[in-house]
Amino acid sequence: MLPNLKVENLSCVRSDKAIFDEVSFDVLPGQNIEIIGSNGSGKTTLLRTLLGLITQDKGEIVWLDDAGKYHNYRTFECLYQGHQLGIKNLLTVFENLNITKHAKGMSQEDIYKHLERVGLSNVNEFASNISVGQRKRIAMAKWLLKEFKIYFIDEPFSALDDTATLLIEKLIKELNAKGCSFVITGHRPSGIEATRVEI
Amino acid sequence: MIAFRRSSTYITPLIFFLIVVTFFPLALGPQESLLSSLAPGVIWIAALLASLLAVETIFSEDFRDGTLDDFFISLEPSFILVFAKVMIHWLITGLPILVASSIAAIILYLPLDSFIPMLLSLLLGTSFMSLLGALGAALALGKSAILSAIIVLPFSVPTLLMGTSVITSSLNNQDFSGFLMIMGAMLALGIPGLCLLTVEALLLNYE
Repeated sequence: MLPNLKVENLSCVRSDKAIFDEVSFDVLPGQNIEIIGSNGSGKTTLLRTLLGLITQDKGEIVWLDDAGKYHNYRTFECLYQGHQLGIKNLLTVFENLNITKHAKGMSQEDIYKHLERVGLSNVNEFASNISVGQRKRIAMAKWLLKEFKIYFIDEPFSALDDTATLLIEKLIKELNAKGCSFVITGHRPSGIEATRVEI
Repeated sequence: MIAFRRSSTYITPLIFFLIVVTFFPLALGPQESLLSSLAPGVIWIAALLASLLAVETIFSEDFRDGTLDDFFISLEPSFILVFAKVMIHWLITGLPILVASSIAAIILYLPLDSFIPMLLSLLLGTSFMSLLGALGAALALGKSAILSAIIVLPFSVPTLLMGTSVITSSLNNQDFSGFLMIMGAMLALGIPGLCLLTVEALLLNYE
């Protein structure tokens, strides 16, 4: 089985200071990578570099296409969930999910089902009126709209109660079984099965 | 939908435009000849400033809430997404100004014959200003809201000159089609050129 993503000796320098240096790992289908580091160690920058939002100074990021060839540009769509979550305050919980392009063609019932799956029943509540934890649950519901080859999630376990943490672990396990991979960040190792990369 | 729910985005420029236009007859008195001769400049300056009032909102919220990341991570061309944002901005700010300009024309005693040239010049000019505003907003992302307007204002001079020339020519019964053609050409070049520059300016915020 070929890795969907190969990262080799990746380095990023800003203002003569190495944000991360010589990071290497492969992401196989169904495998998770957990990037561990303290505050300011460059975890978010690494995720953004992998996705092409920031240019690396050294190293290579190569992506597998459907024909089994590697390219230095992204060949498939990924899901990225940063700290900001991409939730619109002026939209309701339901609308936040419904406006995403991956919800196109989905019935209202399907969207309700996904929201229910992540424990959200207040579908008509405006996102401005809900808690941080519930906002994270909306973001989690987005994971279910489409099966992505790789999910890049920045600190998925922060600001969550035990129930939500267990739910994330369960969702990741389910998606892994379908061949989806996760590249997540955290301050300490989480409960999910993953290859740990310290930066 | 989000833009329409945030009523201040379209109400503020509209009210600003009408207030500025209304101040002129109050300050200068109701002399018809004076007001109609000033009308092209007044309408255009008010429209230009009003259209710049909300440019900061084009990308700021998407940048803050992380939606902009999704735009660049999706495999869709970023150019299309920027163009769509500019179109929405024009619909919520440019179009209301266009409609309100008829009221402004009546207040400033602009002859009825000049209404169509004024609307055409504003249609092309406010669209171009939205494109230019998007570039300013992208360059000033995450910084002071007034900065985007300051960046854009010097580059809006050609639009102002062409726009006022269209109305002045029509007031003097002269051919104004040449000015409209130049404005159309600016818009035609601005759509690809300014959208691409805006994409690059937005990406600078990630480095």
